[in-house]
Amino acid sequence: MTIVGNVLKARELPVFLAIVLVILATGIAKPTFFSATGVVDILLGVAVVAILAVGQTFVIVARHIDLSVGSLIGFTSFVIGDFYDKGYGTLGALLGALAIGVAVGAVNGFLVAYMQLPSLVVTLGSLYIVRGIFSDYAFGRTVTAAMVPPEVAWLGFNRLFGIPYLFLLGLALVIISGFVMRRTRAARDLYAIGSNPQAAELAGIPVARRVFTAFVMNGAIAGLAGAVLLGRFNAANANSALALELVVVAACVVGGVTIAGGSGTVWGAFLGAILLQSITRAIGALGIPQFWQQAFNGGLIILAIAFDRYLNSRVKTTTIMGSKDE
Amino acid sequence: MTHATEAGSAAPQTPLLEMRHVAKSFGGVRALVDANLTLYPGEIHALLGENGAGKSTLLKALAGVHTIDAGDITLKGAPFRQGSTRESIEQGIAVIYQEPSLFPDLTLAENVFVGRQLTSGVLINWDEMARQSRELFQRLGVQLDPNARARGISIADQQIVEIAKALSTDATVIVMDEPTAALSSREVERLFQVATNLKNQGYAVVFVSHRLDEVFALCDRLTVMRDGETVGSKMIADSSEADVVRMMVGREVSELFPKLDVPIGDVVLSVDNLSLEGQFEDISFDVHAGEILGLAGLVGSGRSEVVRAIFGIDRYDSGTVRLNGEPIPPGKPAVAMDKGLALVPEDRRQQGLFMASSISRNVVATLWKKLSQWLLLLRRREDSTAANWGKTLQVKYAELADPVERLSGGNQQKVVLAKWLATEPQVLIVDEPTRGIDVGTKAEVHRLLSEKAQAGMAVIMVSSELPEVLGMSDRIVVMREGKQMGILDRSEADSEKIITLATGGVIV
Repeated sequence: MTIVGNVLKARELPVFLAIVLVILATGIAKPTFFSATGVVDILLGVAVVAILAVGQTFVIVARHIDLSVGSLIGFTSFVIGDFYDKGYGTLGALLGALAIGVAVGAVNGFLVAYMQLPSLVVTLGSLYIVRGIFSDYAFGRTVTAAMVPPEVAWLGFNRLFGIPYLFLLGLALVIISGFVMRRTRAARDLYAIGSNPQAAELAGIPVARRVFTAFVMNGAIAGLAGAVLLGRFNAANANSALALELVVVAACVVGGVTIAGGSGTVWGAFLGAILLQSITRAIGALGIPQFWQQAFNGGLIILAIAFDRYLNSRVKTTTIMGSKDE
Repeated sequence: MTHATEAGSAAPQTPLLEMRHVAKSFGGVRALVDANLTLYPGEIHALLGENGAGKSTLLKALAGVHTIDAGDITLKGAPFRQGSTRESIEQGIAVIYQEPSLFPDLTLAENVFVGRQLTSGVLINWDEMARQSRELFQRLGVQLDPNARARGISIADQQIVEIAKALSTDATVIVMDEPTAALSSREVERLFQVATNLKNQGYAVVFVSHRLDEVFALCDRLTVMRDGETVGSKMIADSSEADVVRMMVGREVSELFPKLDVPIGDVVLSVDNLSLEGQFEDISFDVHAGEILGLAGLVGSGRSEVVRAIFGIDRYDSGTVRLNGEPIPPGKPAVAMDKGLALVPEDRRQQGLFMASSISRNVVATLWKKLSQWLLLLRRREDSTAANWGKTLQVKYAELADPVERLSGGNQQKVVLAKWLATEPQVLIVDEPTRGIDVGTKAEVHRLLSEKAQAGMAVIMVSSELPEVLGMSDRIVVMREGKQMGILDRSEADSEKIITLATGGVIV
């Protein structure tokens, strides 16, 4: 297969085209949309969602979901500022965020992979638990710009050839994870698990261990991503990243990471994040009332699912005699 | 790869695999009592037996899905390590299930190497996987694109992928569990060619099939199982189909299931030329008042599909179903129910009961129109009706308000029966009415069916248990692969005739 053939067949292509279409159409209608600040705004907004979407892809590909990431990233963005303010240093603050992320991911992963509880319910629970602990921890306090570690603030403020470092960080993560997802056994096992869990068990894949690891990885990424969120806003409070997990799942789904598991790439999720962010900005730039943005994104999710279903149904299936096991 | 040794050489050889005195129970059910199986390299070995004889359990022990309770297994002279599917794969056992379990989203190459992807260093080498898969497909004589996704490829091709997977693991024992059940005749031919190739390369192939003609065309040796025990092993060359059928049936039909002799009345239900593509074809029979019509055949022969179509759960392509001469519209279970049909489904947990609801609620589930007033169910009426039925059927329960899931399997079955008998049907269809229930309850269910027939009900009974079919039925329709092979009268029916028809032989 040629590279061109692969690109044309890829599920990500229509998402990419949609992004181009949205940006061009908006830019033509409102030339100011192309201004440097407009583009940078999109890129900054993309960074956080894209990073979380990468971690979420590990989990969704294995036919699970992790709704706790919104609470988690909000919590760790607060913790990083708070720890730095308390004198633990930048490294100490980041390690703290990482530890919290790994811990939450490990609890989620343990309950889902080893206790066989449904991930939707488990992570819905941890979403509230983490937010609850966060609210108590942050009670009445806010992290202000003065409390943000300078390295983190630097990431948020500075650009390389006009591209924010935060975005480049997200892009680097996507490139590395994209490679890992395609070229390592552990990651391919996740695809197999999501595609056919029973068969994965029969094929001798360590299903529980892989699923557990996916949750831990996702937790670790969300934990560290607290720094990205903090770098972007230079502030945090108990409401930081509220309901962000839904945007993350939406980005994955729109980008072709099938909620039923087994297919989708981190590149797709990344493009999904960009598309959602572009639409948000476009709607703002065009002066369309904000509530339309949500309805629009909702429509996009349903469209994406319908599109995936259509792609699958186009594959010719052979009918089989009905048969049952003994 | 490590095989291709004593291909085709004459016995005696050293066995590749020996399973001796294997026993396995699940809860109280003894699936294997004393199972034995010996395999030699370079042979195709048929494993035969009725449904429930223990073939699947034995093979799953080999596949590492079950751990055996007693007995020993040696592979290439060394003790076989049990415990996990991975362990079995590593020791060279490959099992191809009837419904292959591929990963639809992955490419064929990745399916072949799933869980053991080829790597250079830590990175997966996709090109090498594709190259080796292509080579394996070629070796099997089949054209398949290793880079295509598995979604949508035919069952026959899926099996080829599974076999390629087996070869790539350096398997020495390749088990095919009813591989031909879903194949067309051309695909069967191709599979036979592949199996013969494997044999000639020195593999031991286990072939499970209910089709005796296939067994005799393909295999070298056979082992017959019955009730969890190995009845015997023979060379195919030294056996006849009649021998094999005798070994499979073995037991005498007990007198456990007497149907009362009652005068047979008029035709109540007639089924004419019922067909549904890929499921069943040209099914025709009449059922009379007071008659129990048995529907026999192997699992997967289309019996349940036929009764589901009669009751209107599934549609059918052509044919008619008439009740007292009046056609019943296809695909409308509610209408069928109103007109006097009842279907007690095969799987009571999934289809027959609302497991978490109360016993009363379950019994009266079919009667809500009769028992309700202004759309509200009257609890009092519910309970009294349910209590009546409970008494009639001798259901053992503590409280009518208890959820059905708390009852034993036998009592659950009685509740399902009560639910449908409460509609006072003219035609009662029961699908595997005594599966998984104890002997005592079984006898009660049989008594009940017999009494209902005596009272003039027409009964259609799908059953995989030959003694039950033979003991209860006035006439027996035998099906095989969706086709009606014949109707046997009570006086002429015996196990051998049914097995012969059900496996595709000819009655001599």
